[in-house]
Amino acid sequence: MSNIGIVEIFAVIVFFISFYGLITSKNIIKSIASIGIMEIAVIMFFLGIGFFDGMKPPIGPNLENVADPLPQALVITTIIIGITVCAVNLSMLITLCRQLKAADWDIVEKKSSE
Amino acid sequence: MLYLFSLVPVVLAILLYIIPYIRVIRVMALLAQLAVTGSAIYVFFLSKSGDIITKIGGYESVLGITLKSDTLSSVFIALTSFLFLIVVLYGFNEDSGRFYWFFMFIWQGLLNGLFLSRDVFNMFVLIEVATIIVSVLMMYKRDNRSMYDGMVYLMINTVAIQFYLFGIGYIYKLTGVLDIDVAMRIMSQMEPSTFYLPYALIMTAISLKCALVPLSGWLPKAHGTASAPTAVSALLSGLHIKCAVYLFIRFQIFFEVIDLSVFFMVIGIITGFVGFIMALAQSDIKLILAYHTVSQIGIIMLALNIPDAYSRTGGVYHIINHAMFKSALFLCAGIISEVYGTRDIYKIKGVLKRLPLVGAATIMAILGITGAPLFNGSISKYFIVSGAGGFVSVMIFLINLGTIISFIKYSTMLFGKSEDCGRVKIDGFRQVAVMILGIICFTGGIFGEQFIHFLFNIDVGVDAAGYFEKIFLFAASVIAGYVIFRYYVRNSLLLKKISGFHLSFRGMCASIGFFFAMVLIMIRFFA
Repeated sequence: MSNIGIVEIFAVIVFFISFYGLITSKNIIKSIASIGIMEIAVIMFFLGIGFFDGMKPPIGPNLENVADPLPQALVITTIIIGITVCAVNLSMLITLCRQLKAADWDIVEKKSSE
Repeated sequence: MLYLFSLVPVVLAILLYIIPYIRVIRVMALLAQLAVTGSAIYVFFLSKSGDIITKIGGYESVLGITLKSDTLSSVFIALTSFLFLIVVLYGFNEDSGRFYWFFMFIWQGLLNGLFLSRDVFNMFVLIEVATIIVSVLMMYKRDNRSMYDGMVYLMINTVAIQFYLFGIGYIYKLTGVLDIDVAMRIMSQMEPSTFYLPYALIMTAISLKCALVPLSGWLPKAHGTASAPTAVSALLSGLHIKCAVYLFIRFQIFFEVIDLSVFFMVIGIITGFVGFIMALAQSDIKLILAYHTVSQIGIIMLALNIPDAYSRTGGVYHIINHAMFKSALFLCAGIISEVYGTRDIYKIKGVLKRLPLVGAATIMAILGITGAPLFNGSISKYFIVSGAGGFVSVMIFLINLGTIISFIKYSTMLFGKSEDCGRVKIDGFRQVAVMILGIICFTGGIFGEQFIHFLFNIDVGVDAAGYFEKIFLFAASVIAGYVIFRYYVRNSLLLKKISGFHLSFRGMCASIGFFFAMVLIMIRFFA
């Protein structure tokens, strides 16, 4: 497909930045944040799919040259799931942190297997 | 009416959560699960004569959401309902709290929805919510180890599913639809090179969920977590991993223009080898079984990529068989470790004397997984090998030999003298549950041809002479396996060294990136 918009290119860049964060960060909270950023990159990609310059939002009686509404509906579901995952991850991390007094991948792994 | 398969378990879960009486909950769960299993088998019979399609909301297939039950999905739904029935039986007299059944039944509803859905985005939603439910179930007893394993499981699967979502977005951009059948029709008129990127993204995600080798680091942690409820471990290994394999089959058909089967065959072989070598190095019975799941998934993956109808049918049959014997092994291991108070294979002795029925079920499941003649594993492996070339069948034989060695080690706990020899009385429902699974391992072997005909409408014949040869091969490999076990495995320093090997979370993320790059390069040069 030749018509790749600026939003999509930006989304791909953000996606791989967050991937870099996942590979390098030692702190669990940073990893969870990286997953959040990754989700935002995918959301941005979805929004970029249905939108090109000069399009209007799909609201109101005059429905000419409007952005595709379906990706936006999908994105809402994605956001909700992202929040749930983040909440479950953080609640597990809080429990671990209280008991092990650490939020570092290596230390938590070592202590939890004892 | 197909949506009822998803709706009924979810409504039931909420009802079970509301009702305060534990006896009512148990009886209701069992009766409802029997009803779900019965209707799943009924739908299976209906699907044999033609696909059943339900359009939710009455919209056209492109606009609305369709549920479709073809032969493959109805087999998977019957399998799901049956395994949950076994698990309900197993936990019938167990006091496991209200949340447990709530999550269990919601999990079932999600899996049924996944197998029926024809919408790629719905598949994402269902599998991701199922991942969250599983991670909560895994840390049900709230100790540090299972909490850590649950967190790693959830995080790594979330990262993978973002790749899947990205791929879906790309497919939507190219085709403008999310329905898998319609998108396939539109894609067939396009240049194959446009799908290289979404293929690599989606296949990376599915490979992680299947636990293929560079991406398999999370599986032993998740399936072998010490304190996870036994039934959860059994369902994870028996059923949940099959969702990913199911998605692989679907997307293999979806991207039929891109043929990367040789690559996945190689990965499958490596997965098979790594699985059993790591299993040999372990001494925790749950971890041994978890690593064998990796190994068996390798065999299934290999079978699904052999370009031969017999092999693929054998692969799908092996999925069902693996669900049976692995659930049986996990449930038995749960009972055994509860009775003995340890999970160390070298400390457990004399299971057959203390727990005769559980020991018998374990033996049947072991014979199933090692492909012993007359048991179900041998039939599926026979069909897998029948379509494979010389090199591949040698590899399957070697993987099977490794499995045999590892299970000779596993079965040492059945014999010998235990310190306190008395028979232990255990709950009757649990014994019934494991015995049903054990007997199915046996009947699935004896009536293998009839089963395959019944399930997939494919007429297959087991060649008597060829099968006879396999019996000799099995006997020879058991002897070889025993010798190798006795003189090498027992006191091998190398195995002790690799037993603690595992990838950290960062390592797993890096291997996702590595696998993604590898798939892209492979498509670029070989597809």
